Amino acid sequence: METIKKDILNYLNNKSFMDGNTQLNDNDSLTQNGIMDSIGLIELMDYICEKYSIEIPEDMLTPENFDSLQGITDLIVKLTE
Amino acid sequence: MRIDTYITEYARKSPHNVAIEEGKNSISYSCLDEDINSITSSMMDFGHCRFAILAESGIQYIKMLMAVYRSNNIAIPLPIELPMFSLERILDTAHINNIIATETQYSRLGEDFFECFETVVVVSNDTSVKTLRKRIVREINNPDTRLVLYTSGTTGTPKGVMLSDRNLIANAGSIIEVLDIIPDDKAAMVISPHHAFGNSIIDSQLMAGGSIGVGNMNFIESTFSLIESGISIFYGVPSTYRMLLRHPERFKKAFGNVRMAASAGGGMDGVTVKNIKESNPDITILPMYGQTEATARLAYLPPEDVDKFGDTIGKPIPGVILDVFDADNRPVGPDIAGELVAKGDNILIGYLDDEMATEKKIIDGWMYTGDLAQKLPNGYFRLLGRKDDLIKIGDHRVNPREVEKYIENNNEVTNVFVVPVPHEIMGNAISLMVIPGQGTDVENLHAFCRKNLPGYLCPREILFIDNPPLSENGKISNRSIIEGYQNVKKSM
Repeated sequence: METIKKDILNYLNNKSFMDGNTQLNDNDSLTQNGIMDSIGLIELMDYICEKYSIEIPEDMLTPENFDSLQGITDLIVKLTE
Repeated sequence: MRIDTYITEYARKSPHNVAIEEGKNSISYSCLDEDINSITSSMMDFGHCRFAILAESGIQYIKMLMAVYRSNNIAIPLPIELPMFSLERILDTAHINNIIATETQYSRLGEDFFECFETVVVVSNDTSVKTLRKRIVREINNPDTRLVLYTSGTTGTPKGVMLSDRNLIANAGSIIEVLDIIPDDKAAMVISPHHAFGNSIIDSQLMAGGSIGVGNMNFIESTFSLIESGISIFYGVPSTYRMLLRHPERFKKAFGNVRMAASAGGGMDGVTVKNIKESNPDITILPMYGQTEATARLAYLPPEDVDKFGDTIGKPIPGVILDVFDADNRPVGPDIAGELVAKGDNILIGYLDDEMATEKKIIDGWMYTGDLAQKLPNGYFRLLGRKDDLIKIGDHRVNPREVEKYIENNNEVTNVFVVPVPHEIMGNAISLMVIPGQGTDVENLHAFCRKNLPGYLCPREILFIDNPPLSENGKISNRSIIEGYQNVKKSM
């Protein structure tokens, strides 16, 4: 679980969505803190699908599952089980 | 009449009808009218002053906008999705003394941001109003100005489009007529309300006594759920539809009961039209054309002609006259290319504090759109590109020359050239060709763009080149840059 979280954080940093100074807690909203917009979210989604060889069903694309580090991590864990 | 007087009228005629829905919240016309009144009272004694509005999309934003109208002031919505430097550029040019903000935006931006305002009004989630400080500064404004919408706030010099009550009502009236909006209609607003398109959804729905379902495009399932909640009219830019159509099955289910799919902010391509039609054969597809300077809309393509004339913008909306003029401001005949010009009650008053730009935009009562076009023998109009070189990315107009300058001035590079490249969702995206200087670093450049430019301007690719991509006559244009880009790609 921590590995997944770290991987997503690395992605956000490498793709310059945020920099080392950005404080992001596990439950902080990515969209309301100006880190992601709708196009950024699509990029992130494509990355996750490829990296973890999963398909994310549309009904899971909600703020609960996709707007925070914790939400995304839980979603990946659920889909890779 | 002002737009908000229609709300008062419906509050009397059909007080319990829903005006706006947002997530689990909704508000009736009578409650909306009362809440507007209570916010209005904090701004009553100003007398036609400029008020910046900082609010998220939705019920709060609409209440605050209407309260600025009702108190006879001038609303200047700040697009909250813009990066800070863009907001600051707007504030630098707009000379605004007063601001009204939601509690959320006030705490997000912090006290420092608000320091430059003489009057600061904060509206909390339960619509209680706090005036943090107040000093009325007399202003001289065009007496008809009601709303100022900013265009090209991302990179170009921001221009404030001044619109009057008459502009807003005329355009909303035309839209109601073309879409045949009735009080039973519930329209989805998933795009920003701070720009012309979103604003026109608010105006036309509330003037028709219909309702608005507010959402966004961040989380596709939430968007589809909104559409399934009884939306009858869906509005989107072409990229909105392309995003939703990435999920064809879900799209089909959600759009089953939508009667109209309206679009603006760029031509609808044939594939997107076909995919929407296949999902719901009964849906009416209505592509529209316009610009902020025309309040919102100028033309529409009648649904029965979407297949045959899909490459045109159709005909003027009711109340608008369109024509094509040559370089000497004289009308040209059918099939001849020239600049598209427009006349009507929806045409802007002018640009805020910028008489020179206004004089160039409106000549002898005609507004010059900056779009090249030709008139077809049947009276429809076909667009032939921008007069200057703006690139359309999603629903944003981007001036590549200004993006280049901005990147050059802030990085270790010799020259930067913006290349428009196709993007499956946004229509266009940009790549960069860079003549490196000492210490140019691709990673740093990328990071700079990601951090300082809005997401849609983040380059797909950065290529190093040795010489500028000049045309045969030694000039830089989108065309010469695209040709240069293709040559670099070929030799890779």
